[in-house]
Amino acid sequence: MVKKETAHVSTADQTLVLSSLEHDQLVGAKKHHIPRRHFETPELIVLWALRLYLLFMMAVVGYQVWMAR
Amino acid sequence: MKPVATEAEVVITHEDVDRAHDRVRVSAARARRGFSSKARLLWLLVGPGVLVMLGENDGPSMVAYAATGAKFGVGFFLPFVVLTFCMAIVVQEMTVRLGAATHRGHAELIFDRFGPFWGWFSMIDLGIGNFLTLITEFIAIRAGLGFFGVRPWIAILIALVILYGALMSHRYWTWERITLAATIFNLIFIPVALMTHPSWHSVGHAFVTWQPLPGFNKDVLLFVLADIGATVTPWMLFFQQSATVDKGMTIKDIRFGRIDTVLGAALATAAAIATILATAPLFAHQMTADNFQAAEFAQALQPIIGRFGASLFALGMVEAGIVAAITISTSSAYAFGEVTHKPHSLNLPMGEGKSFYAVLTLCAAAAAAIVLIPGLPLVYVVLIVNVVAVLAMPPALVFLFMLVNDKEIMGDLISPWWANILATAVVFILTSAGILFGVSIIAPNIFAALGGK
Repeated sequence: MVKKETAHVSTADQTLVLSSLEHDQLVGAKKHHIPRRHFETPELIVLWALRLYLLFMMAVVGYQVWMAR
Repeated sequence: MKPVATEAEVVITHEDVDRAHDRVRVSAARARRGFSSKARLLWLLVGPGVLVMLGENDGPSMVAYAATGAKFGVGFFLPFVVLTFCMAIVVQEMTVRLGAATHRGHAELIFDRFGPFWGWFSMIDLGIGNFLTLITEFIAIRAGLGFFGVRPWIAILIALVILYGALMSHRYWTWERITLAATIFNLIFIPVALMTHPSWHSVGHAFVTWQPLPGFNKDVLLFVLADIGATVTPWMLFFQQSATVDKGMTIKDIRFGRIDTVLGAALATAAAIATILATAPLFAHQMTADNFQAAEFAQALQPIIGRFGASLFALGMVEAGIVAAITISTSSAYAFGEVTHKPHSLNLPMGEGKSFYAVLTLCAAAAAAIVLIPGLPLVYVVLIVNVVAVLAMPPALVFLFMLVNDKEIMGDLISPWWANILATAVVFILTSAGILFGVSIIAPNIFAALGGK
């Protein structure tokens, strides 16, 4: 059910919104969180590997900047 | 598509009304037949793709292309830049599908679907990258306007006024059109390139053969990374998906979202190649441009293309910085709003979107203020910002890849197998380029042993 509300929105605008936007597009509908999914082990391995890769490479970039000074 | 929200009570807001007005025009154009209706539909739906692609042709990107042309001339890097934009199309198309199918921004999806632990990692990558890049945009603006004798603080003020002025309508549509109009000036590099009278035979030869090759050493690798970082970066994923949602695009609009993305990539490629061609004469004249900033390229080109041409080049740098400052600060504000569940839309009146506009303005103002601090070694920021973008891309792409293949939120719109192969190839290329770069820094002797310098 859609609650037609707010003092600033006219009835014509409410009708327009309900006829033009999909339910999921309404700002109010986005207050509902999308259900969480859990990672499988291979996914976690890839994510951690990339996280370590990024940290290591940032250290390399820092080293390069330090050497360039 | 599986619904992502229940049919619970919801409140209609001004943001919904503004978006509904935009959607009515789209529906009206779609209902009519004929070429002019299709053209109008394209006009209404074009936006996020062009903005993201030309927004990424930003200050450091244009400096990277200019330095590429000055260092290597016409050769391998011309087709290479086309390849990098093809990678960008593959990646950005996924954000269109995600945004249209879920009506959620990228940061919001990562937090909801994968939890705050991984969400914050993603946000930290985005925040650091965006802020460093924003600083470089203001460096480009300051340097570009400095070519005309504008004092740094006035240059920065002009940029902030334009950025804030685009927001004043509090309508996504108006903001998008103003920013789109500004992006057109990115093509200013094309007349500059024509003024240098490039050898079209050499250009054609480079595109067909990818030659002359630049060799294989640390410097070349740095340019490879800088040119990749000039086309694919994490903020683009967050921005285009959020803008697609803010624009109100739906599954029916995905085809036009793809056209928008390809159109943006084509325009950005043209500007990038033009910039390489524009500075190629510096290579031919054997001028060292290793440490050039935006304005110095314009000054170096002045004897070749005259004051007018050099002025156009400097103006192009200013435009690149301003458009990117607008889009990148907006990307940060969208992400902040999505993660904190505060209102986040360019359709919000100032009173309802205080935190959104505050984050947007503060990000830009803080970056601008840093540029004005005398004596800071900003040149290092310009040098590393594209490299940092490339390094941060693989983790961001894996999140994107997992989301776009998530049947629970994407339904039938998950990526086809061939798109997954392309996306995997992009992750592989970016990670390999990053690892090679790391090796070149830590163990440069390995490159010497392979025949490089």
